[in-house]
Amino acid sequence: MIFDTYDCGKKKMFGIIDNDGKVIDKDYEPDIDKETLVNMYKTMVLARVADVKALQYQRQGRMLTFAPVQGQEACQVGPMAATDKKDWLVTAFREQAAMLYKGMTLKQGYLYWYGHERGSQFDEGVKITPVNVPIGSQINHAAGIAYASKIKKKGEVVVSYIGDGGTSHGEFHEGMNFGAVQKVPMITIIQNNQYAISTPRKLQSAAETLAQKAGSYGIPGIQVDGNDVLAMYAATKEAVERARKGEGVSLIEAVTYRLGPHTTSDDPSLYRSEEEVNEWRERDPIPRFKKYLTNKKLWNKDKEEKLQEETKKFVADTFKEVEKSELASVDEVYDHTYETLPPYLKKQKETYLKYLEDTKDEDKKESEGK
Amino acid sequence: MINFKFADIGEGIHEGVILKWHYEVGDEVKEGETMVVVETDKVNAEIPAPEDGILKEKGAEVGEEIKVGETLAVIDDGSGEEQEEGAGEEAEETPDKKEKKDEKEEDKDEDRKSSKEKQADEEEEEAGASVVGTVETGSEVLPASDEHTMKKEKPDKKKGKALATPVARKMAKDHGVDINKIDGTGPAGRVMKEDIKKAAEGAKMKEAAPASAAERPSMPEIAEEGTRREKISKLRQTIVRAMDRSNQLIPATTVMDEFDVSELAKFRKEQQGLADDQDTKLTYLPFIIKAVVLALKEYPKLNASFDHESEEIVYKDYYNIGIAVDTPDGLIVPNIKNADKKSILELSKDVERLASAARERKTEMKDLRHTTFSITNYGAFGAKLGTPVINHPEVAILGMGAITKKPVVIDDEITVRHMFPISLTVDHRIIDGGDAGRFMVKLKTYLDDPMLLLLS
Amino acid sequence: MANMTLLKAINHTLDQQMEKDDNVVVYGEDVGYEGGVFRVTAGLQKKYGKDRVFDTPIAEAAIVGGGIGMAMNGLRPVAEIQFSGFMFPAYNQIAVHAARMRNRSRGKYTVPMVIRMPYGGGVRALEHHSESLETLFAHLPGLKLVIPSTPYDAKGLLTAAIQDNDPVIFMEPKRIYRAFKQDVPEEEYSIPLGKAKIVQEGDDITVVAWGAMMREAHKATESLKEDGISVELIDLRTISPMDSDTVVESVKKTGRFVVVHEAVRTLGIGAELISRVNEEAFFHLEAHPTRITSPDITVPLPKGEHHYMLDSKRIAREIKKVATFE
Repeated sequence: MIFDTYDCGKKKMFGIIDNDGKVIDKDYEPDIDKETLVNMYKTMVLARVADVKALQYQRQGRMLTFAPVQGQEACQVGPMAATDKKDWLVTAFREQAAMLYKGMTLKQGYLYWYGHERGSQFDEGVKITPVNVPIGSQINHAAGIAYASKIKKKGEVVVSYIGDGGTSHGEFHEGMNFGAVQKVPMITIIQNNQYAISTPRKLQSAAETLAQKAGSYGIPGIQVDGNDVLAMYAATKEAVERARKGEGVSLIEAVTYRLGPHTTSDDPSLYRSEEEVNEWRERDPIPRFKKYLTNKKLWNKDKEEKLQEETKKFVADTFKEVEKSELASVDEVYDHTYETLPPYLKKQKETYLKYLEDTKDEDKKESEGK
Repeated sequence: MINFKFADIGEGIHEGVILKWHYEVGDEVKEGETMVVVETDKVNAEIPAPEDGILKEKGAEVGEEIKVGETLAVIDDGSGEEQEEGAGEEAEETPDKKEKKDEKEEDKDEDRKSSKEKQADEEEEEAGASVVGTVETGSEVLPASDEHTMKKEKPDKKKGKALATPVARKMAKDHGVDINKIDGTGPAGRVMKEDIKKAAEGAKMKEAAPASAAERPSMPEIAEEGTRREKISKLRQTIVRAMDRSNQLIPATTVMDEFDVSELAKFRKEQQGLADDQDTKLTYLPFIIKAVVLALKEYPKLNASFDHESEEIVYKDYYNIGIAVDTPDGLIVPNIKNADKKSILELSKDVERLASAARERKTEMKDLRHTTFSITNYGAFGAKLGTPVINHPEVAILGMGAITKKPVVIDDEITVRHMFPISLTVDHRIIDGGDAGRFMVKLKTYLDDPMLLLLS
Repeated sequence: MANMTLLKAINHTLDQQMEKDDNVVVYGEDVGYEGGVFRVTAGLQKKYGKDRVFDTPIAEAAIVGGGIGMAMNGLRPVAEIQFSGFMFPAYNQIAVHAARMRNRSRGKYTVPMVIRMPYGGGVRALEHHSESLETLFAHLPGLKLVIPSTPYDAKGLLTAAIQDNDPVIFMEPKRIYRAFKQDVPEEEYSIPLGKAKIVQEGDDITVVAWGAMMREAHKATESLKEDGISVELIDLRTISPMDSDTVVESVKKTGRFVVVHEAVRTLGIGAELISRVNEEAFFHLEAHPTRITSPDITVPLPKGEHHYMLDSKRIAREIKKVATFE
């Protein structure tokens, strides 16, 4: 079993393919059908292109703050491919690739970062929680969702994500602890991308690995090469089976790297070197997976060209759609405060609507006068 | 055609300097590829092309400065229509352009420095860092404060306003009594309900007529058949109250005369050209106003008010001349403030301004308050003789009739002269026939001789 | 004397106080090496070293709780919560310990600590980065709360806060961090906490605001001059303890009262001020005291934020209604 062989106490990191896409651990190479493999690859490419474009759009003044996932596609897509539709994805704020695989549309993803709550209205049956900004608190939610699944015998598994920085937060500890004690069907994946904004991993914890925190909860934990999509898949699959059997929580530390900035308003050159970034670029998850697929005769240059072209067009078209979307209406910002608007709030809304009505001519004159 | 603007890339920058163009005009650019590199305070920003197309125009050349919001490039994407991209909402966030410009003039030398040298500057902080959202960067400078050097507190100024509960205030309003004039008998001089009742009764007793606005005699029956009822407007209600009041309080009397204004008529016609240059139409009214003000200076009683409670004449050293304007809803009388300090052309403009505002029902409160003397022009409708009603608390009003050419006897000869009928209604409690007459004569003197009017 | 932004004034004050008193320590997430996500603490770690200026793990309860301990043992910590929206994990420590330690220990242990946090909207940010939570702090006995609106005040108030022996929450209106500059004297000076400032004298109506809303209220005041309305504009500056005396005296002069805040309406600081004005200046009132606030909804994401934030035009309109009420 992966979790035994690579138990965090043994200080070995689990990986299946190397930087060149060559299989280095034949025992655990997962048996994934061709369609799924290609789909995984396509999603990783989509996430990457969408990311790169989002940064460009931001530089062009067409997009607001955005948290890129560049470099972290494997540790997001891999685990999602190992879960079923009925399972949950509980996110922090840097899981766009996972969300895309799980059923969020790119348009929804872009709408959210573009500034619309509409972007969090995922389709029916898509069990993703909305982007969670307060760090760590999603772990408590994940434990709760998993607990409900357990006692209602729904058979669902919950995959929750957190960053290396997030593991310092009290909410991580409390959520993991509760989930572990109650043996809920939860898998927590730490995206250790080496930085929490500017704070490097070693200032976050004195522990040698983050995976070994599992010990304090009495659960298994392993450290995985986060840029190896197959390893992430395989490790998660095993954890999912554990969870479905009722054996409780697992912790996976995905060792990866944040190739982009924390957000579009962050300047990473202040706190990390170009050399370090380049070193990690050699371990980029997408090229190595492409090589693996090519070796397996599932992919080739023509297909790659075609995919890049299609993806770029799809991303550009989607963004244009998003740009055309209207500003939030008054209804949108008021009506989701409660199930029904209480009288005092209804009155506030009406007063505001009247104010808009009374002043709309003034605004019109002003904008015409410009 | 895409008009691609230089955007604030989220770092709070105002402008940049073009470092390098990756394309020349006429080249094909590909969407997403770096088109130009712009040097800013923080970073050298690589700006990608927004669309596929041909680079038609560069917004600035290498070494030139480009401001946020200005066009960086024009790209022909084959779409035909003009589109604007970039900048977008960021444009709203750029600070006051004028102040930026002024600062930029001083800092011209600074701009030539590279961004690295700038970082060495003590004053320069990292503009724009925020990690989430966009924090506005501005160059406005607030006035300085010296609070920490001030020793003592300034003493508070006290204003003579009444203390009263909201209920009492409403009561005073309903009784038509000014609460600030009542002596309060409550704690700390608070005006109590009893005080208001007394004041209201007292005011009633001092009035000549027993009926107050709220106590009019009841309406006799009017046969309903063949009648149509129409609720009067707010403005009309105000006029009703004002006229009632004037009627109750003031014993008014009117003196009339006809002035020969042939010289003035000639003068006015000659000067219309001058007035046109000043963009105003020269009617008789500005001349009348000026003459009235000069006459009022010599007979200040007609510019005063009569306080019947304290039995004092209130003389005023300001001259706010009310001009009655006929509007579709009713008569409005805005005033020209300090008319004694204005020239005839200025008065002409003021008249136009107030009249058009009144007709559009855009008259402001301040224009209606504190009138000292009013003028009404029924001559505009062709009438010659009238007995205008005084607007209380003024004590006089001048009515202008239509100026017509008439046969007049001068030196035993009949000649044709421009004759101007004038009526002056005065408050006979403080203004007698003699005062009124003398005022009229003075007025006549000024209107007789335009030169005298202008020289005074 | 130098022209500084609000942000630079804070940076300069921290530097000046750290130089004066080596018990002052400054810390928080990304505060040390990077100098803070807004660069408020830039340059401090380099100057004073890692013991006095350091980065913490992501753990708000630890940041405040740890600070309480430091304060109890002789340091004067200036802790940063990266955004006011993230103060909730620390709220337990703030409410239960920081605010109560002196009372609990009969004065044996005190918490001379400052907790700084950027707050407020109008910056088109993600969820949870735009809140105005003054009420949640003002309601806790034992805690002080200060909100500067100008660079000059920021230095004076922060200096006073650091030197105060009670815990002070220092909320920084991030929207105006860099929006303008002001002459800030080089020498040390402090502005007493609990003192509001009459920014502009007037006769017709009293208007109270603070933080980023001061700028909007001021713009509104200027535009109302054309209507002949003379506004007495007051910057509250300290929310707790509140200087309602200055406000009440002003209302006794003008007879009319308006308070403006970007926090939600219900139970905002406006409610408290109006209560006090009613209690102490009731008979001077010529119109109903009014609060101009954001509505009781969650701050929307950027594309809906304009429905929440107040602008000077709207503020002017509402002030005018009260000023011209007959």
